[in-house]
Amino acid sequence: MEGIKTGFKSFDESTGGLDYRKTYALFGNKESGKEQFLYNLVQSALASKNAIVYVLTSKSYSDLINEFNVRNIPINQYLGKDFKILDDFSRTNSPNAMDNSYAKILNGPLDLTGLSVSLSGVNSDFIKDAKTVINIFDNLSNLLMYNNPLTVYRFLQFICGKAKLAGVTTIFSVDTAMHTPDIIETIKNLSDAIIDLKLENGKRSFRLSGTSREVLEFKELE
Amino acid sequence: MVEYRGLDGIPEDVDPYFGIAKLDEQLKGIPSKKIVLISASPSVGNEVFGYQIIHKNIISNVKVLVFLNRTSPQSYLTEMKEYDFPSNDNMVIIDAYSGITGIKSDETDHIKVISNPYDREEVKSKILSELKNGYGLLVMDSLSLLADFFDFQYVNSLIKEIQKISEEKDAAAVLLFTDWGYDKDNVDKIISEVNSVIEVKGIEKRVIFGQYFAVLNCDWVKANDGFSSVLFKSMKPGGIKVYFPKILVTGPTDAGKSSFIHSASHNAVSVDKLGGTIALDHGSVDFEGYKADLFGTPGQERFDPLLKMLGGEAIGVFLVIDSTKPEQFPRAIEMLRKTETYGLPVVVIANKADLKGALKKEEIRAKLHLDSAMALIQTFAEDLSKVDPNEPTKLKDEGVHEALSVLFKQLT
Repeated sequence: MEGIKTGFKSFDESTGGLDYRKTYALFGNKESGKEQFLYNLVQSALASKNAIVYVLTSKSYSDLINEFNVRNIPINQYLGKDFKILDDFSRTNSPNAMDNSYAKILNGPLDLTGLSVSLSGVNSDFIKDAKTVINIFDNLSNLLMYNNPLTVYRFLQFICGKAKLAGVTTIFSVDTAMHTPDIIETIKNLSDAIIDLKLENGKRSFRLSGTSREVLEFKELE
Repeated sequence: MVEYRGLDGIPEDVDPYFGIAKLDEQLKGIPSKKIVLISASPSVGNEVFGYQIIHKNIISNVKVLVFLNRTSPQSYLTEMKEYDFPSNDNMVIIDAYSGITGIKSDETDHIKVISNPYDREEVKSKILSELKNGYGLLVMDSLSLLADFFDFQYVNSLIKEIQKISEEKDAAAVLLFTDWGYDKDNVDKIISEVNSVIEVKGIEKRVIFGQYFAVLNCDWVKANDGFSSVLFKSMKPGGIKVYFPKILVTGPTDAGKSSFIHSASHNAVSVDKLGGTIALDHGSVDFEGYKADLFGTPGQERFDPLLKMLGGEAIGVFLVIDSTKPEQFPRAIEMLRKTETYGLPVVVIANKADLKGALKKEEIRAKLHLDSAMALIQTFAEDLSKVDPNEPTKLKDEGVHEALSVLFKQLT
């Protein structure tokens, strides 16, 4: 079975895309292009009829939609259908924020139970509709900032384990500059595969480890 | 004092209580001085249990103290409202969340702020000193998060202190706990400190296709055969409803199956042609904290192959008969047999009991050879002048509610 295309030609050609059912950690510092990578993945995966649950921890759902719009990524046609958002950010600033047909407002970064329950629910709905599902966490760093790291590890272990059983692919982005090496190391151990991104000399590049088609030297992302 | 009416409609003096059907029937509320742990799987969650317990008590004038570290008080109150559980003056929140996110929270009469939620001594002293101020119930949301923040030793010693104050002040406590796969010894220690443990779990393979709660232990109620697990649905609005996934409504042609389903449900759908149901009826019932899906069978004999299919996996049956047509009674019994639901709880509904020529209850019992233990409930049209043979007739609530109540009681 072909992997999930990310929309980056160099990545997809050399790696075959993302493997189904795997858990990916997307590492990079602030300017490495993690968000752009995720947005391209969303566009490409939706076009190939995958369903996506997008978990937000550091921006609101309306900010995310704006980001898609300014990049001319057609998202509106998928909202509430194959694209659903779990917004774990909005309530921190607007306690009265309410759910709508495509975004569910969660209680904030400490309520990992609420996040886990909602994720299970949305995944179940997609799976019952016979869709292949990708869970995207943008980003894990915020959860790590507010919670005891051990709590986040337990959470990751639980949701990634469940995702695998259900045939769901998971990808979570981590801002490497925000965490100590021991935290990064543990997250690596909890993931099946690692995508590293970096910006150097005005060019973005990637490497991939932990899959059958690894790219161990940084290669330009285009 | 809270007045609780279960399916029997008999008031009981319970103070405080859960406000959740079946849980109050099994445990008779939460007596003062008792501590209950509600332990949930992370894919199901227990927060709605918390909202419902808080709400039922505050509207019954029990003062409730909520220790909150999972989210902000504003967000918590918004979510309670979404479940149709608005707060009132009897609810006081200890806010151990805002200090973590750095968002300023103003102390009010109903929100007590812990300035440094990372300070284990401040957290403990704030909970314990506030609890001494005349509360009937403490709800902690969440105990597992507190263990994550500090450690299990801290949580155990806190529970002991809460127990002490609860005994002095006649309070009870409900502790919400998510089991993320902690060390079993740590969880067992907490379990040994509390008076009752309720487990909340999902029935899942690739997806969750059901949720249940079960009382694992309780030191104030004796249950010789143990407590049964209870399927539930969490409704927004509405909260926790005990759930019966499939109840069959069967009976001969034109006995009033569709009328019963439409009268009992809020969203019934019939697939029919000129009044008689030719495929099936479905309706969702929401009654006294219980939710059930009713499936009606067509009465015509040519659809008998469907009966077996519809009867599969049913857990209870309403057998609807027309009280004026004894000639159809053998067909009614035959239909029950064909559904292969013999042995399941059955309630017989003698419909059209208000029509001329309707048989009396005793006559129906004799003609149907009903065991004395089998419930027989009469139902009547709400307004006979409005009966349209091509539409389901609205039946009087009285008989419909009695029938639901009797069957639900048999099912739990």
